[in-house]
Order: sequence, then C-alpha cells, then structure tokens
Amino acid sequence: MRVARRALVAGLIVLQVALVVRAYSADQAVFGFQMFPESSTWRAEIVRVTTDGARIDVREPWPGGYRWSDLVGGFRGLGSPSAERHATAGIDSTLDFLDEALDYAATHTPEDRETVRLEARVTFRRNGGDPETVTLVSRNRPEAAP
Amino acid sequence: MTGGALPRLRTTAERWLDGTGDVRAIALLRIAAGPIVLIHLRPFLEIAADGGSWDDTFHVPYAAWYPALSGGAWRALLWGAVAAAVLMSIGLFTRAATAYTAGFVAWNLFLSQTHFHHNRAFLVILLTGLAVLPVGRVLSIDAVIARSRGRPLAGAIGPLWPLIPMRFSVATAYWASGLSKLLDPDWWGGVVLQLRIEQYGSSALDRGAPEWVIDLLASEAFMWWFAKVVVLTEVFIGVGLLVRRTRLAAVWVAIPFHLTIEATAEVQVFSLAGLCALVIWVTPTTRDRTLVVSGAGWARRLGAAVRWLDWTGRFTVEQSDAGTAVTLYDRPGGTGAPIVRTGREAVWFVLSRLPLAFPIAAPVLPIRSRRGRRARRRNSRSTAG
Repeated sequence: MRVARRALVAGLIVLQVALVVRAYSADQAVFGFQMFPESSTWRAEIVRVTTDGARIDVREPWPGGYRWSDLVGGFRGLGSPSAERHATAGIDSTLDFLDEALDYAATHTPEDRETVRLEARVTFRRNGGDPETVTLVSRNRPEAAP
Repeated sequence: MTGGALPRLRTTAERWLDGTGDVRAIALLRIAAGPIVLIHLRPFLEIAADGGSWDDTFHVPYAAWYPALSGGAWRALLWGAVAAAVLMSIGLFTRAATAYTAGFVAWNLFLSQTHFHHNRAFLVILLTGLAVLPVGRVLSIDAVIARSRGRPLAGAIGPLWPLIPMRFSVATAYWASGLSKLLDPDWWGGVVLQLRIEQYGSSALDRGAPEWVIDLLASEAFMWWFAKVVVLTEVFIGVGLLVRRTRLAAVWVAIPFHLTIEATAEVQVFSLAGLCALVIWVTPTTRDRTLVVSGAGWARRLGAAVRWLDWTGRFTVEQSDAGTAVTLYDRPGGTGAPIVRTGREAVWFVLSRLPLAFPIAAPVLPIRSRRGRRARRRNSRSTAG
C-alpha cells in the first residue's frame, strides 16, 4: 500500500511534467498550461469544391440547407472565419482545429451530393509578423455524385 | 544543500506521503467550487436548455474508445452535475456529490478536444483533489447533521498525500505558463503582450480599467519591461508556492496577479478558481496557535473578530485578563517552546492568517516580525544578564 501510494504520487508528478514538456511540440497543449501563448491573428476563406470544379464560398447556399456556422458553431471563431480574429490558443492550434472542422463538415453533410471537398485558404500573422498563407483541404467526400 | 537539509527534506516528504493532517482550509475551496463549477458549466447548460447536445456541432474526440454519451443521457448527467455541485458546496452527501461533480467535469472535458481550456484543466485538478480529501467533515451540512445525531464527524483529518500532486499541478499552472513565455522571444520581448493590449484594450476599458493604464500598457518601451515582470511573476508564483520559505509571498503575489488577469482578459473561471485554490497552501494543521486576549476594549473585539474570520482554523482564542492585552502563542520555535508574540506583532501576525485581512497584513508582517525578534532577543539578553 505504502509503495503503491508513493508510486501513484510520483507517477502523477511525472505525468504532469511530461504533459508540460509535450506541450512544446503538440498542436493542443493539453494540461501543458501554455496560457496566452501568442497574439497571432487569422482569417480564412472557405469554399466547397464541387464535382464540376466550381469553388463556392461556404456562406453561399449549400445543398441540403447546411450552413458552415451551424456545423462548426462558435468554437474559437471558426464559425465565422472571414473576419480577422485572434488565435486564442495560438495559430498552430487554430490551424489544427480548422483542419478538423473541414473534415467534420465534409462528413456531416449527407444531403450534399455535389461537394467533393472543402478548402480553406488561411491568412495569418504570427505575433504581428508578415502575413502568411496556408491552404487546408478536407478529406474527399464519396457522397459526391460524379 | 547543507548536510542537514537532505535529511530534513526526506523527513518532510515522508510526513506528507505517509502522514495525516487537517485539511479544514480546503473545505473552503469545496464551498467555492460549487459556484465555480456552475459558471464553468454555463455554456453546456445553454446547449442543454435548448434540447441540444455537446455533439450537435463540431467536435473532435480524443480517442474512439472514450465512453461518450450524447442527447438526453448527456443532458441528464449534466443536470445531475448541477445538483451535485450545489450539494458539494453546501456539504450535503458531500463525498458522493464531490466525486460526481469531479467525475462529470473531467469526463465532459475529455468528450471533445474542443471542450479543452486551461482553466477547465485547472478546475479538474482542484475537483479531483477535493474528491479525494475529507473536505466534507467540516463546514458542511453533513457535519451539522452528524452533530445533531450525537455522532460528530472526526474532523477534516485525512491522508496528506493527495495534496502533493494537487499542489504540484496547481503550481505547474503558473510555472509552466511562465516558462513557456520565458522561452518565447516574442513574449519576453513584449510583442505578444503589446498586441494583446491593442486587441483587448477596449474590452478592459469596459471592465473598468483606467484609460491611462491602457495607454501606458500600449507603449512599446513600457511593454518591453512589463513583459519581463509578467513572465517572472508567473514563474515566481509557480516556484514560490512550492518552496515553504517563499510560499506566503507567492500567495500574496497571486492575488493581484489573478485580479489583473480578470480585469484585462477573458479567462473563464481561471481567476476565481485560482484565487480560491490558494487555500490549498495553508499548512494542514488547525488550532495550533493560541491567541489570548484581554476581556476589554479592542483586544476583546479582536478576539471576537478572529473567532468569526478565522475560516481556515488557525487559532484557538482564549480570554484572560492576566498579562498583556494580546498574546499569541505561536508554533514551537527552534528551542521547542512556543514563540510568544505580543502587542502589534501579535495583531499583525493574526491578521496575516485571516483570509480577508491577509492581502493587507501579509506585507506588514515581515517588518513587525523583525522588530519582534529584536525585542525578544533584547529581553532574553536582559533576562540572562
């Protein structure tokens, strides 16, 4: 019992330290306590790429009546990406979540038969630096009719 | 490290790992944790009130195997957590209520990566500690009921070991945050903070921050220095809390630190939880100091105030008209005999141990204590002479 108790205490402390160390290389610093890590800003233009190659802004009507803001909700401003905003937990975390959100939208819109994939062109400034641009792409949707 | 330091460290570690202590002070955190949990759950309650569920919109599971419930089952568990948080706070069925609250908040946190915020992780750490420690045996309805049945609870005596990881993780929230900023040239150089002030300046003004403060903070030269103060403050709080000699100072610094953050940033429950969590640093013993006051005038009023405001159970208050107006028999000193403080030194010492007076009394105490030590030395020399 005594040994187990000591092992548990030591294990919890080691785990906490390990999570702090992990946070330096992970997109999401879970239990790493890197609070207010950056003052980066970002905005994104998100489009649906359809079977005929058209690129349609997600703010335009969507087959099945879907809306990007409804699908993604208010989480960290991902639901209204066209306005420049602060990357709350750092730009890497935001890009990681936006990438996940594209996949989420691609897999939660079963009534949409025309969208092959979603793409986000993200412009961000890391701590007030020069603008950088990156393009994120969702997984392809097998539901899209050829 | 001197020759005696290592054995002392070992003795202390063994006392904490294998010993028991009185965690009455942490019952205060239990009481405060109920409202904090309700504030934390508010966004989820808004979803539930509309008949929704956490997984109606974008979410990212941590692992496919994680046990997730949604819809009505999740809403039922959520409302259960609300009830449990209230019960935890008032101290009714405290053990079960605290365990349920901690379990739900942790489970809900890990349902989706989108639920994660540092303040929520901090809250989970606190709730887990509360669930393990015997914090329901005092300052609770459970204790009142037990007393009324003639079977009073055994007090908040329990094993101290859960406090070790709890304290370490709480301190980590500060030192890890400070360290990450220390290693980031943009933070250390003031760029991050300056941009943040530009972004949130108007919000801070709305919250009552003076305009001249915001103007000053927006200055690049000021921010270069101020960033270093902020970073080193965080590191000091985190490390200072872990070291006994600097603990009181770290607790004191943490108070304005949290108040400033609350006034200038959106941190959900972090400020509230951080301030309330400071009670975990109270030494886990109670009534080990005796305050003797005379039965008249300000000394009598001091005694009454201490009885009301000594929420962490530091003092036994006794009345005696023999001797000085106020005498404090403190914990034993190096000689093994209690340190005796009298007059203003005793008053400031007592005030520094009352939660409400601590922010004002703690900075005065070192000055008063130094004078008191000098006086005691003079007295002992004259006695010996």
